[in-house]
Amino acid sequence: MAMAALRREGRRFAPLLSPRPIAAAAPRSSPSFLSPEEDVPFGARSISTQVVRNRMKSVKNIQKITKAMKMVAASKLRAIQTRAENSRGLWQPFIALLGDTPSIDVKKNVIVTVSSDKGLCGGINSTSVRLSKGLLKLNSGPDKEPKYVVVGEKAKVQLIRDSRKHIHLTISELTKIPLNYTQVSVLADDIIKNVEFDALKIVFNKFHSVVSFIPTVSTVLSPEVVEREVESGSGKLGELDSYEIEGGSTRGETLQNLAEFQFSCVMFNAVLENACSEMGARMSAMDSSSRNAGEVLDRLTLTYNRTRQAAITTELTEIISGASALEG
Amino acid sequence: MSAPMPFWRAAGMTYITYSNICANLVRNCLKEPHKAEALNREKVHFAISTWKDGKAEKPVVLLKFELPK
Repeated sequence: MAMAALRREGRRFAPLLSPRPIAAAAPRSSPSFLSPEEDVPFGARSISTQVVRNRMKSVKNIQKITKAMKMVAASKLRAIQTRAENSRGLWQPFIALLGDTPSIDVKKNVIVTVSSDKGLCGGINSTSVRLSKGLLKLNSGPDKEPKYVVVGEKAKVQLIRDSRKHIHLTISELTKIPLNYTQVSVLADDIIKNVEFDALKIVFNKFHSVVSFIPTVSTVLSPEVVEREVESGSGKLGELDSYEIEGGSTRGETLQNLAEFQFSCVMFNAVLENACSEMGARMSAMDSSSRNAGEVLDRLTLTYNRTRQAAITTELTEIISGASALEG
Repeated sequence: MSAPMPFWRAAGMTYITYSNICANLVRNCLKEPHKAEALNREKVHFAISTWKDGKAEKPVVLLKFELPK
């Protein structure tokens, strides 16, 4: 809504904005700021300041909109931040049990890129896209075929440009309703059913503070790979042998259940963290753009006042010189 | 150790689906003001589309459903 208004403003004033750069930087050029032969009808006495006034109005409106967007992002951030921080408790036990193996070498890599649906939030989407592309390069080889699963509109747009043949699945409109676990787990279920994988690498922006987000990769292994790693006894997974498994299920089944549940938990956390980072990034982006609008407005006001003053001075000089000519 | 496959996996469910159904059952056990709230919170809405060979794209499937009450 606010974004649409911003675009509208931009379009309406685009012809006014583009042809004339702000001339305040060159202070003495202000009388020529509005080229007289264009804007002033022939024989007019003073320069019209209408254009500058219009532009000041538009800058003021844009500033209002960005300020409002900042407020909205701030209030949404507060609500989602606690949830994101609480959801970290979901994946931490898995790391304790299975360890984290971002550098594992398997055949079927699936990179799940989490991004936002809306723009105007700084560089968080390009960061995760860049990280995903790096991962893709790292994991491609002669008999390997890495794939993308793209969550969110913005990463999709960026990935379509140069790696559309790797895209396997795209998901959007996830944030239309408040994020909840059921939703994300249904999504994770769909991904598991639709994609064959040995390792899922989930790329998202981890929320650190309002101004800093850490691009992060979480790895979820398929049960077969976990089994293989357990047998080779490397790292944390080698210790899995020391656990006893309760109930009637075998270790393979338990591992499969665990892997599925781990994926949905990690996805839930990733989506929440990313939404939280998005809000934080949007907040700081909107903050700096309102500040910029303020600066532009200041310079415009200065130019406007100076032009007006110049016109008044010219008129006064003309009157005085006329009067003195009559006297003399 | 040769236990039979769990019935829900035999039915083609993943653990996620199974645990969701179980969670929904638990939610249904809540008393009234909390029950409606918990059930309202858990809604599913997203659009998913599969890609083949870069271009061929199945129409977007919009999922929108609530778990049975």
